[in-house]
Amino acid sequence: MKKTIMVAALLVSPAVHAEVSFERLVNAADDKESWLTYSGTYRSERYSPLVEINTENVVDLKVIWAYQMQPSTHTGAGLVETTPLVADGVMYLTEPPSTVTALDARTGKRLWSWTPDIDEDVKNIGFPKVNRGVALLNDAVYVATLDAHLVSLDAATGAVRWDVAVADNDIGFALTLAPLAIENRIIIGVSGAEAGVRGFVDAYDSATGELDWRFYTIPAPGDPGSETWQGDAWQTGGGSTWLTGSYDPDLDLLYWTVGNPAPDWNGDVRPGDNLYSCSIIALDPNTGELEWHFQYTPHDTHDWDANQIPVLLDAEFNDEDRKIVALANRNAFFYLLDRETGEFLHGNEYSKQTWASGLDEAGRPIVIPGTDPTYDGNLVWPSLQGATNWFSPSYNPETEQFFVATRLMGSVYYKADVEYEEGEPFLGGGEQALSGDDAAGAIRALDVLTGKQQWEFMLHSPPWAGVMATAGGLVFGGSNEGNMFALDAATGEALWDFQSGGAVRTNPMSFAVDGKQRVVSTGGGTLYVFGLE
Amino acid sequence: MKNGRLVALVLILSSPAAMAQSPLDLLTAGDLADGERLFRIHCARCHGIDGAGGEGSNLARPALQYVNDDEQLIAIIDDGIPGTGMPAIWSLDDTQTTRVAGYVRTLGRLEAEEMPGDPGRGRRVYQDIGGCPACHIIAGHGIGIGPELTTVGDQRGLDYLRSSLVAPAEAQSQTAGYKDYLTVRVRTLEDRVEGLRINEDAFSIQVRDVAGSVHSFRKDDLIEFEKVFAHSLMPEYGASLSGQDLDDVVSYLMSLRSER
Repeated sequence: MKKTIMVAALLVSPAVHAEVSFERLVNAADDKESWLTYSGTYRSERYSPLVEINTENVVDLKVIWAYQMQPSTHTGAGLVETTPLVADGVMYLTEPPSTVTALDARTGKRLWSWTPDIDEDVKNIGFPKVNRGVALLNDAVYVATLDAHLVSLDAATGAVRWDVAVADNDIGFALTLAPLAIENRIIIGVSGAEAGVRGFVDAYDSATGELDWRFYTIPAPGDPGSETWQGDAWQTGGGSTWLTGSYDPDLDLLYWTVGNPAPDWNGDVRPGDNLYSCSIIALDPNTGELEWHFQYTPHDTHDWDANQIPVLLDAEFNDEDRKIVALANRNAFFYLLDRETGEFLHGNEYSKQTWASGLDEAGRPIVIPGTDPTYDGNLVWPSLQGATNWFSPSYNPETEQFFVATRLMGSVYYKADVEYEEGEPFLGGGEQALSGDDAAGAIRALDVLTGKQQWEFMLHSPPWAGVMATAGGLVFGGSNEGNMFALDAATGEALWDFQSGGAVRTNPMSFAVDGKQRVVSTGGGTLYVFGLE
Repeated sequence: MKNGRLVALVLILSSPAAMAQSPLDLLTAGDLADGERLFRIHCARCHGIDGAGGEGSNLARPALQYVNDDEQLIAIIDDGIPGTGMPAIWSLDDTQTTRVAGYVRTLGRLEAEEMPGDPGRGRRVYQDIGGCPACHIIAGHGIGIGPELTTVGDQRGLDYLRSSLVAPAEAQSQTAGYKDYLTVRVRTLEDRVEGLRINEDAFSIQVRDVAGSVHSFRKDDLIEFEKVFAHSLMPEYGASLSGQDLDDVVSYLMSLRSER
């Protein structure tokens, strides 16, 4: 009897680790039971095609298993922002600050765990000690660590294959994002604009860890875009690249988003548009060459990073078939661009803002005078954390709905004098957010081609968790107050909720094991896996 | 444990290294002015523009609850205080932190606010005319509907205390921007409750009524749900107490301090 069970188990899950080819990543949308890359697919829809859990039965959703993260010895490392990946029966996730753990996706039992030796005094200037997940390629797992290393691990054992230093943590560089695997390259971006680093996007050889190319997001004198800077400001110009990008295999273009210019709130010391800060850039993934760019917030003075997820979709826009990249920006505007050319197609306000009267024909914001930070403080919506932030939106290609977790909060922005000092905060001001009862959050559904709001579901406070739509007609999300919930994608009505006991700060994802759909989210330091049975 | 820490502190203070000047002693008037500017940006929202307290505690007093020395004051600004509303102020560099600490220390050197009345008489007004123990606890006595006042003199200054008596709806304390004693009114098919919000999320709310009973509701069960921001369950004492009574009660509350 025992033998029979073992044989059966082996037949169901022959692999003990993931084996994810580039071809499999390209076709991730067809690999319905897996979740192979940070946003689900290269198009970054964060959409599950699974239908077992749907509007009819979601009310019966229950916890199948839970996994408690290991407490970190690092002061302040506790926030969990990981999106687990699942392939071939194994779940790969990260635990704060940079641990990688492999779990049996059926039971949650740990298969292996790897923790890098990171100094207690590691610098994380401007963000918490978090990690958002791994990349899978072939038989390896890739993780970007807080102390700015990129590491390749054996997917079966967690053994280190290679470990490269990407940049110097002492001057403020750090890595928190999930890498993106394309063909034989691992693409990453950096955090550190709040320390005045000069941002870049890197591609490493997946087999050797050798640097293949680097694209600096702040151009040096003489390079295209350098005319938007004056003096030496570019050297400490910021432009972090701290969130995973998207990829179009047909166009062979990589889409990456760029953060704020430095210093954040005192723009006097960096006159000009400050390219490519607060922009999306389209790069040739083979060479790192810039194909086009679009700057959402020229000369930003509110820390409105454009580090949000660029969602790729194909649709008929103004009677023309278009390849589009959609992005709900931290600056409170929703944008559609042609992703072949970067041409601005559409933009509209999707959340309260008081800094621009609209966008002009080219998509440039028409800034309302007097909305910059001042020495005495200036109240502006949205707050510096933005109308949304790093946490993911979701797109349902069947219904052409775009879902975004929205922060409804203003801030009093202050400007201050500032001088660059290596490895120290380089901010030039601060903010006092109108938090608590003066703020709120909402999950909003937008018609993707018009940006018009279809419905909203109100949250008690501005969220730090993303959303995931499913083919079952649902939108999953979470709240700071510990709620995990499923909304009816057609109406926004809550059909199921669960109090997890800790703040939800992750993006939901979904997979199936033994043919049964699972939905995953984290509350506090606990990862919950839900299912119907 | 506490004694052990005290001994360690004494040893450190008496070692030669500890005899060195505190970095706060080296600050110039210009540094302190910069510290004041930074305080306005990073600290004033909770501690008040003059440091006299509000959502955060009153810093304009000689001894602070969590601070034994200048080094500890700097560490608290850097790292926050776990389990309290005091966050780590990561965005200040070392120089700026030192300047803010220096400014905070000057607040403690201000002369203590003078009491406007007689605290002994105020104690009787508090208990008898005001009937305050019906909703507040001092040193274990009273009923805990509103905030405990055992050491309120440490946390609140004169102006705040007076306004909380005269216009309690406007002077409500907050935690992370949420009113600690927000009045809510809810109605279900069977029930109607007015009370103070204890907790809330997107799907539920917990309420304590004036009898002290706790109610928990699913929001989708509510027929009516109102948050009454411009209201407090505490009576406005501006009309019912004389000017002298108010001065005396404020003085009594100012006298309620911890031993340190």
